[in-house]
Amino acid sequence: MISRRGVLSAGAAGSAALGLAACSGGSGGSDPTDTEANADKTITLWIMQGTNAKTDEYVDAITKAFKDKTGATLKVEVQPWDGAHDKFVTAMSGGTGPDVAEVGTTWVPEFADAGGLDPLTKDVDEAGIGDGLVQGLVDAGTLDDELYGMPWYAGVRSILADRKILEDAGVTEQPGSWDDLLSMIETLKEKNPDIIPFPVAGGSIFAGMPFVWGAGGDIASESGGTWKATINSTESVEGITWYTDLALKHDASTAAASSWLETDSLAAFQQGKVAMFITGSWVPATIKADDEELFKRLVAFTIPAKDKAVAPSFLGGSLLCRFTETEEPELAFELIKLMSTGEFATQWAKDTNYFPGEQKALDQVVADGDDLTKVFAQQMTEGGTTVPVTPAWGQIEGKKTLSTLFSDVLGGTKPQQAADAAATEMDKIFGG
Amino acid sequence: MSAATSTPKNAANATGTLERRRVPVRRRLQRGSAPWLLLAPGLVTLAVLLLWPLVRVLNLSIQDYRLRNLIRGDSNYTGLTNYREILSDPFLWGTVLPNTVGFAIVCVVLTMVVGIVVALFLNSLGTWWRSICTTAIMVAWAVPAITGTYVFVWLFDPLNGLVASTLDQLGIMEAGSWNWFANRWAFYAIATANVVYHGFPFIAVTVLAGLGTVPKELYEAAALDGAGPLSRFRSVTIPGIRPILAVCIILSTIWDFKVFTQIYLMPGGNGTNRDVMNLGVWSYSESFAQGLYGRGSAIAVLLTLLLLVISVIYMRSLMKEDEL
Repeated sequence: MISRRGVLSAGAAGSAALGLAACSGGSGGSDPTDTEANADKTITLWIMQGTNAKTDEYVDAITKAFKDKTGATLKVEVQPWDGAHDKFVTAMSGGTGPDVAEVGTTWVPEFADAGGLDPLTKDVDEAGIGDGLVQGLVDAGTLDDELYGMPWYAGVRSILADRKILEDAGVTEQPGSWDDLLSMIETLKEKNPDIIPFPVAGGSIFAGMPFVWGAGGDIASESGGTWKATINSTESVEGITWYTDLALKHDASTAAASSWLETDSLAAFQQGKVAMFITGSWVPATIKADDEELFKRLVAFTIPAKDKAVAPSFLGGSLLCRFTETEEPELAFELIKLMSTGEFATQWAKDTNYFPGEQKALDQVVADGDDLTKVFAQQMTEGGTTVPVTPAWGQIEGKKTLSTLFSDVLGGTKPQQAADAAATEMDKIFGG
Repeated sequence: MSAATSTPKNAANATGTLERRRVPVRRRLQRGSAPWLLLAPGLVTLAVLLLWPLVRVLNLSIQDYRLRNLIRGDSNYTGLTNYREILSDPFLWGTVLPNTVGFAIVCVVLTMVVGIVVALFLNSLGTWWRSICTTAIMVAWAVPAITGTYVFVWLFDPLNGLVASTLDQLGIMEAGSWNWFANRWAFYAIATANVVYHGFPFIAVTVLAGLGTVPKELYEAAALDGAGPLSRFRSVTIPGIRPILAVCIILSTIWDFKVFTQIYLMPGGNGTNRDVMNLGVWSYSESFAQGLYGRGSAIAVLLTLLLLVISVIYMRSLMKEDEL
């Protein structure tokens, strides 16, 4: 496999160079709204599969709007998340990539550092669309003071529960602290011993991190341009210990959950075996599609911190990025502008149950939304946070350092020992 | 063919060396080049598909080659650093190599034993039943590794799986009380079942074909000499199908050493549970998940070398006589 990639890149790098040389005369200073001049130009856009159930309608609408505005043709290619990272990498190295693509927030620094993405700061400033963006997404897309991706949509994780199970046990209040959450779990277990009150899924790091952050800990911190792991600090370890003790000491979870991913928790929840679990703001829509009855019983809570109701939670999502190899940077940016602001941004958020990347559109979605939306929105605005914004994060994510940490502790390793191991691994990666 | 080529040679020897020199150079070239011309399409295809990638992997393995090198198309040679780091990593010697080698040995032995037993069973059936049974086991072989692995993961799901709920109903253990994916031995026991289940049909069908080539008279003769079924198997069947067994063993060893999908797709197998990592997953994790293509290539080269060594040892011990 490695070698195949090598051949591809070697062959395609040559053709990319030719392509760039041939087209360098044409780009630069072209007017994106000159519909006649753009008539025979094509822009390729990659979006991810499965985010929007109405993708076809959206694609038709955006293609038409883009044609009306710029005269150019828009070619939309829908890519599956599976293997998306590899696909981007191959495309970037081979010059077969799109002009514009949706890129997951945690990948942006890595791709930008590698030279695959084009900085957007100047264009965003000139277009006057830089203000009022959701800060967490801007942070995730900013590397060395340059913005490499325009915020498009975001999601955040909170606690989702089955109201019926909660009402049967008499616990329906938003937990205001860890202690509240624990007594909720204990009551649930006591009233209904067959239920899994709160699964601790070892493979779902963003279910565990709010407890690290909620204890005042963090993954890593930066000073003077160097990153250092803080996952083994006293506060971080306190969070890891408290969260994993839910499974190890308080019987809140099941042994099976130590190798669960978030999707496994969701499946168990849908089977009625789980009372509440940590999941994303996009999940209620999935549940609605599968089981309307369960959807009506859903209730959401913000994930509590050690002594308050809202802990920091990972704000993930997608940014719209322009790729360095594009031959039409102005047209590409025009597309980014069209998708990430105004009507199309709001429409996308409504269709997908994600939050838009623009604060104004976000306020609109929250105002129109139901109670579930309001809880997730509160978690996002008060607690939305991100992973270390460094090209090294891609490697840490790839090495599964944090999943290993959580599943090791669930498997019986001492929290401090597992955290030290994770910190050593991260520091080695930060050091290059 | 051999007769045709040996005739001029013998003639040349008979009439002395002067005679041979008189063959015009052009004709000799033509004669010499004809086989190569015929082989050329195959050789070129092999070179493009196998040789060039091999050269690239070797080349990458002596570089610190990352995403940015891939995108910018530059190189970054670091000599043997990758090899030095990998070979001095206790993770290789303590976890990855034992997992890979131990798992491969167990799988090869089990696959061969099950495969041969099934082949003997099929051989004893009539044509009609043999076709039905062969078709049935070929279905197991035809299932893609991904699908097969998911089936095994579902069967062994610690909470809802068939195995857990059966044990629960029998009162042996409570469903969900123990996670076998989190335990190195249980994890590999499940992976072994999966790989053997998926691998034995090929062996069975191949050995079955081999059994057909053993002359029936040998069995009759052995029976007349008073050989029981076991000694007939040892003294007639095994020697008769030895070349086929050799090929089967070498192929299964190669397959079971480089097993990837069946491990990667199991819960925790993608690198989360470090205890269960094998060479294939490690190489993937380093190169594709972490973007350290140089390091991943070096692991792949080491895996290839290991397989080469094992294949050579097999060839020498199994092919003592001129059987192939």
